[in-house]
Amino acid sequence: MDSMTDTETRPLIKMIKVNKFFGPFQALKNIDLEVYKGEKIVICGPSGSGKSTLIRCINRLEEHNDGNIIIDGIELTDKVEDIDAVRREVGMVFQSFNLFPHMTIAKNLMIAQQLVRKTPKAKAREIAMLYLERVKIPEQADKYPIQLSGGQQQRVAIARALCMRPEIILFDEPTSALDPEMINEVLDVMIDLARDGMTMVCVTHEMGFARSVADRVIFMDAGEIVEQAEPAEFFDNPENERTKVFLNQILSH
Amino acid sequence: MEVLTGWWDDYFWGAVIVAKVFIASLSLMILFGLIGAGAKLSNSRVAQKIAGAYTVIFRGTPEILVILLLYFGSAILLTSIAQIFNPEIKFVDVPPFWAGTIAISIIVGSYATETFRGAFLGVNPGSIEAARALGMSTLQTFIYIRIPEMWRIALPPFGNHMLSLIKDTALISIIGLNETLFVAKQAITVTGKPFTMYIVVGAIYLGFSSVITLAVMAIEKFGNRTTIDAK
Ligand SMILES: Nc1ncnc2c1ncn2[C@@H]1O[C@H](COP(=O)(O)OP(=O)(O)O)[C@@H](O)[C@H]1O
Ligand SMILES: [Mg+2]
Repeated sequence: MDSMTDTETRPLIKMIKVNKFFGPFQALKNIDLEVYKGEKIVICGPSGSGKSTLIRCINRLEEHNDGNIIIDGIELTDKVEDIDAVRREVGMVFQSFNLFPHMTIAKNLMIAQQLVRKTPKAKAREIAMLYLERVKIPEQADKYPIQLSGGQQQRVAIARALCMRPEIILFDEPTSALDPEMINEVLDVMIDLARDGMTMVCVTHEMGFARSVADRVIFMDAGEIVEQAEPAEFFDNPENERTKVFLNQILSH
Repeated sequence: MEVLTGWWDDYFWGAVIVAKVFIASLSLMILFGLIGAGAKLSNSRVAQKIAGAYTVIFRGTPEILVILLLYFGSAILLTSIAQIFNPEIKFVDVPPFWAGTIAISIIVGSYATETFRGAFLGVNPGSIEAARALGMSTLQTFIYIRIPEMWRIALPPFGNHMLSLIKDTALISIIGLNETLFVAKQAITVTGKPFTMYIVVGAIYLGFSSVITLAVMAIEKFGNRTTIDAK
């Protein structure tokens, strides 16, 4: 099979019967998931349902206990080279931004390029500025994270992930820690990325975003994928009782 | 002031010894602190217990007692070892410089153990995860993310440990180290002017501690440019 059809027919993310335990507690139960290139997935569900755990298994911030996780053809096992290879392909944006507090914004975007991609400093800075412009804050390049608002910090965090030219970006509740007036500036950047064809897996409760951007919405509860469907179907015609209850709670807010 | 004539060079050499003890004990204190913190953070129960005993014992006993016990204890030990080879030997002299330096390093190292441990645990785990998610190796994450965040947390208490070391140097005079306090005692027996002689010692120590305090403040200011809003 030639590589062209390979990338089109093979999912970028494939999870097969994945289980994850924290001690005796089972956080993920028999997770099956396939995400193809360019797809945008939204994951929602009550707190503690395993959403973070699921996406953190994708870049091995958590180790799954059994089942298989294959990212762009690379199976995640204990092999450090494979984990590194997967992390080069997968960017991540956290709820609490997690910028490096002791580095300027530009340096935050350059450090991994220099250390992981071995990009020369000048080139790394050039790429950093490119993505800072893309998230519309190039003028903040030489400030420190603490000097920026939450919305700006999260945009920097997205730019930092983009600098590594990932195939996939994972978002773990990227707007949950933000003041309401800053949520849209971050969602706008995410919508922009989606239009550009980025493969995205987003844990979020921003249902407007899910409706307009997602190809598929996944509902999780108690470590299981309860239901997945296209957004129109998911919101207007949910099948599972637990999904209905959840949507009622969310939408009544 | 003329009572001081003839004593200045003794004080000067005494101050040089203070500086030497400080530099040697600072290096050892950092070493003991890092080993202690490493043991407390390790997965080994035994290492944790030993490090726990270390901090309890040396933070809970008078410093001067530790200096005396280490000095006489090591002398007794070395003497009995030497007597195995040559029964003629009556007493092995331990250099007070090293006995004292090691004693105060062990004592202050027990405080530094807690400082380094706290700094390690104080690093935002989110930073570490972000570095790992970006594909940085464990070593790269340690060097570029953890250490720079750690030293900023550790610096203020570490400054206090340095002040403790410099002041503890004076205690070593009790086992015969000829630092400034020892010089003063000699000068007093000759001149009979205790107040003047001790004031000079005080001025010298205050000079040392001021330099340390100013240096720590300067480094803190450098480190804090990233954490204080500098609009
Ligand atoms: N490191 C951990 N140790 C123990 N339990 C954990 C850990 N991380 C998550 N859990 C548990 O796993 C469950 C799922 O957590 P998480 O994936 O964070 O949920 P969500 O992101 O959907 O809120 C929760 O019950 C949580 O308490
Ligand atoms: Mg979560």
